[in-house]
Amino acid sequence: MRKYILKRLGSGALVVLFSVLFNFVIIRLAPGDPTRLLAGKDNPSPETIAALRERFGLDKPLLEQFWIYFKQLLHGDFGYSYVSSLTVWELIRSRIVPTLLIAFTGAFLGLLIGTALGIIAARKKGSKFDMFMCSISYFFDSTPSFWLGLMMILLFASILKWFPTYGMYNVRQNYTGMAHVLDVAYHMVLPVTTLVLIDIPYYFRIARSSILQTMSEDFIMTLRATGMSEQKIFFKYVMRNAIIPTVTVFGITLAYMITGVAMIEIVFAWPGMGRLMLDSITKRDYPTLSAIYLLLSISVAVMTIVVDVVYAWIDPRIRIE
Amino acid sequence: MSLLEIKNVSINYHTNDKTVYAVQDVSMNVDEQDSVGIVGESGSGKSTLAMGILRLLPENIIETSGEALLEGEDILAMDTKHLQEVRWMKMSVVFQKSMNALSPVHRIGYQMEDIYRVHYPNEDKKVIQDKIYSLLKMVNLPERVYMSYPHELSGGMMQRVAIALSLIFEPKLLIMDEATTALDVVTQTQILNEIIDLEKNMNIARIMITHDMSVVASTCKKVVVMYAGRIMEQGLVNDVLVNPQHPYTKGLMSSFPSFTGERKNLKGIEGNLPDMSIYPTGCVFAPRCPFATERCHKEIPQLKKYGDNWEVACFQSGGTSNE
Repeated sequence: MRKYILKRLGSGALVVLFSVLFNFVIIRLAPGDPTRLLAGKDNPSPETIAALRERFGLDKPLLEQFWIYFKQLLHGDFGYSYVSSLTVWELIRSRIVPTLLIAFTGAFLGLLIGTALGIIAARKKGSKFDMFMCSISYFFDSTPSFWLGLMMILLFASILKWFPTYGMYNVRQNYTGMAHVLDVAYHMVLPVTTLVLIDIPYYFRIARSSILQTMSEDFIMTLRATGMSEQKIFFKYVMRNAIIPTVTVFGITLAYMITGVAMIEIVFAWPGMGRLMLDSITKRDYPTLSAIYLLLSISVAVMTIVVDVVYAWIDPRIRIE
Repeated sequence: MSLLEIKNVSINYHTNDKTVYAVQDVSMNVDEQDSVGIVGESGSGKSTLAMGILRLLPENIIETSGEALLEGEDILAMDTKHLQEVRWMKMSVVFQKSMNALSPVHRIGYQMEDIYRVHYPNEDKKVIQDKIYSLLKMVNLPERVYMSYPHELSGGMMQRVAIALSLIFEPKLLIMDEATTALDVVTQTQILNEIIDLEKNMNIARIMITHDMSVVASTCKKVVVMYAGRIMEQGLVNDVLVNPQHPYTKGLMSSFPSFTGERKNLKGIEGNLPDMSIYPTGCVFAPRCPFATERCHKEIPQLKKYGDNWEVACFQSGGTSNE
């Protein structure tokens, strides 16, 4: 088991290392020039551009640029944003918490509700509940998240006026302490509900089909023949066998969490990482983009390792070296 | 009184638009320490019969009639609670795909302990472990199997695990549903010999479901020949397989090569199983039977006594009627 984990850690570190190089090159190969965007005017003077290029070090050869960047990274320094005067780290720090707040809450609730519904539907296969849930899951599955978000705003914010239309907190009232927490929670309701509604069908279908598949396995027949109660068979044997696909999907969702809810963030004007990333792309803010991609690749690598370890813990067949 | 008396059992499957008559009007007896082989080709209803007696068929799509008396108690009419008490204590089963007989993500010993606790929930852990180790030893498995997972064992070893598990409460009746079919012949012979020894020591009666005539010939006292959900012929192995009376049994026998006889082409039986969703008007085998007469197509032949412990369902066999 330890060897298994060490092996996974090693390959994870390699993945991160490669993605640093890869992202650095790919971003700079993409068309568009940050200095042209920053210079602003329709026909910026070559002098301005040259000055900007020199200031950001873009006049140096690509390899040298990478070396400088890499040395900085090793010191934990992401550099300065081209666009704002803040350091990249300050930019990200202010955005990552709001993103994790809605993304994690949404993923977690989606996992709980979706899996619970899937379990109930699987146990009552063919019932009205099952058929209703199956058809409605296809509906939400084929719904684009931004459209659902807009509809939520239209219905619950514009027409019913139950919830705010946008933002993370009320900018007019400077709430502090508990009032601030409640205010944020109040603003979270619509974006999180949208995320949950989009997530539920995945967890629902995975839990349902995986449970049904496990229930049809031969060993369930053996256990039934021994006189074991259906309750015990289900909670002790079916669940553990059926949970692996759910772990995978939840792991992947967590891995992409820092940028995965960009659409929702934009629709609800949520000050999160997804919007920061899209802004950085349009403005060719290389340092910020590189940092976001680096965080993303670390997050994916770490979550993959976590999922692998959880797998091996659940299923002994995966532990084979 | 026989250990297991099956009386006029019929099992139908209901699907959306049709009914499949999988088992029709089957009656047979299994005595204590008996060994009965149920043979027939795929789709003959032999597994459905076994699963029906074990009440392991999906109850929402099947319809069962008749009685299956295990020590005088009708299994088919038992409530769930009583059924769960009887299961594994009085009758146990070994399935064909023993590789999947246990959960792949729990240790074998752990699962056996858990199954032991189904019927003795408060038994001391040490006692259970000793019991399981002695069972493993009995089926010639090493002790490490206790801490192993199913995927770490071979097919033959898992089959032994399944057999050990089936004997954990020393049941009266053991049903083996194609239990050795997937094994190579050497392992199969070893395991069959072990089972015969074990059941002698433990007074176990065995029902052996198989399509392998040679397994029945070498390990069973009695044989039941099934075709399209009905019994064609049943009796002692020495009678039925030596001097088959039913045309179907004859056909089955000539589908197997013989070691001693001269080399000749295997015959097989012309035609295919009938559509089981159409209730037959006459003998189910008549469409494939070389001796079928007009009567065979119009009237369903009942099992008739042909000799002691020997019954044949054929108008041509010339037996005496039971009625």
